[in-house]
Amino acid sequence: MPLLSRPPSESAPALIDGAETWSHARLNDAVDAAARSLGAAGPLGFLWCRNDRATIVGYLAALRARRAVALFDADTDPIDAAALVACYRPAWQLGPRPAGDDYVSAGDASLPELRLRRQLDATPIHADLAVLLSTSGTTGSRKLVRLSAAAVTHNARAIAEALAIEPDARALTSLPLHYSYGLSVLASHLVAGAAVIITSDGLMADALWRTVREHRCTSIAAVPYGYQILRRLDLDRLDVPSVTTLTQAGGRLEPALVTHFAELMRRRGGRFHAMYGQTEATARMTVLPHDAAFTHPASVGVPLRGGAVAIDAGEIVYRGPNVMLGYATDRADLSRGDDLRGELRTGDLGFVDADGFLHVTGRVSRFAKVHGTRISLDEVEALARLAPEAGPVAAIGGVDKVIVYCEGAAADTLPARLRRLAARLRVHPSALSLRAIDALPRTANGKVDYARLGAEGA
Amino acid sequence: MMPNERKLRDAFIAALGVAPDAAVETFTYRGIKEWDSVAHMQLIAGIEAAFDIMLDTADVLGMSSYAIARTIVVRHGVDIEA
Repeated sequence: MPLLSRPPSESAPALIDGAETWSHARLNDAVDAAARSLGAAGPLGFLWCRNDRATIVGYLAALRARRAVALFDADTDPIDAAALVACYRPAWQLGPRPAGDDYVSAGDASLPELRLRRQLDATPIHADLAVLLSTSGTTGSRKLVRLSAAAVTHNARAIAEALAIEPDARALTSLPLHYSYGLSVLASHLVAGAAVIITSDGLMADALWRTVREHRCTSIAAVPYGYQILRRLDLDRLDVPSVTTLTQAGGRLEPALVTHFAELMRRRGGRFHAMYGQTEATARMTVLPHDAAFTHPASVGVPLRGGAVAIDAGEIVYRGPNVMLGYATDRADLSRGDDLRGELRTGDLGFVDADGFLHVTGRVSRFAKVHGTRISLDEVEALARLAPEAGPVAAIGGVDKVIVYCEGAAADTLPARLRRLAARLRVHPSALSLRAIDALPRTANGKVDYARLGAEGA
Repeated sequence: MMPNERKLRDAFIAALGVAPDAAVETFTYRGIKEWDSVAHMQLIAGIEAAFDIMLDTADVLGMSSYAIARTIVVRHGVDIEA
């Protein structure tokens, strides 16, 4: 059975949701009932996700009923949501959104929000297709990643092994469930017979930390921006001694922060894991062993069980059972089988060091052309960060110029920084423009929003 | 409006990216889409810079409205009536 396990004790908690706790046995029963309802529905569903129990039951039921399901943010813009429905024509929908005129309510006790399509679309769905996820942090994109049940299950188990998740672990749903990293936190804990504590509060909310204290949360997952928040809040001052595991993915975390949190966890007998993944690989590809955070803080670690990493012309190529079947951009693509055969060209640049640890250095496509020369924007950012006074920076390509935004920089320091940066890059200073910015625009995930930055620079 | 009150308003307007005449006095954390966790971090940094103060963990978590932000800066020794 995908993702559900038989823990040592079936009365062990699986979902902790406010005052109510569901055991693994109870969750299993709820999923069984919901799977029967979905079994009678058609072969493709949309699940509009919140961080709540209904979303989790709906997701697990779709897996159990072998009904392919696409996960989207329940807060997706209504126009984008309608376009997604029109593009993929799912047989059923679950979640808190109006489904549109083509659907009728068919809710029952197990799935109160179930809606069924009046006129089923006959375009076939490939038998191996289990889960569809959006690739980007931006909602409403029609480009989806096609994942098999085998990939989802394998990745959940491999993550549970690499992180040594024990049945007494309690992870917080600190990330959205429609996001591959958030979904992997749920999956890896359930397969390990452990529990998740459900919250939709952000790291900046006092309510989240009350939940952590009350339910003795042991594990928190966050993206790099989350770690900036955690550093600002100071985990030691939050009075949450139960938290002994921190995991990080979703982009590069500065080595200084890796060391900071690894040391903070070590002092309380815990572990910090930097990790690397993509939705295209279900979620996770590599994990940094916790003790290696001190010796290799700039690395994302070693491949999960069953995975392998190679470098081809600088690009990280991952092979493993968790690699997606391929992309989909419309309903017809859902009849496709395995396009990738387990090999994923990640589009990330990197190298493997002498100890076998993977380092991610940038994106293949992030290059600017300046006076006919290709300049890596990631390299520009890395070098611009070397300035002793440097805060966060972001580089974008302009017209024959690389524009570097320096967060919180004093304007009078910029000319000297520009000269040093140009010398390091071996380009003429006129190829660079350094601009002070109060705060870099960021996406909901806290990543630098290059699209908005580009629009502002234009 | 007194200069320090103006500074606090400006910090909100800059961090949340709202119009200069926005009714910031009515805003609550996550009560409007502009005031998310990203904006909150920027707001904290903006207030610290504007008043040259250092907010602690409880301040960062507790600053859920303009009125509470006002109370917090006063507690850090800012004369908001000045």
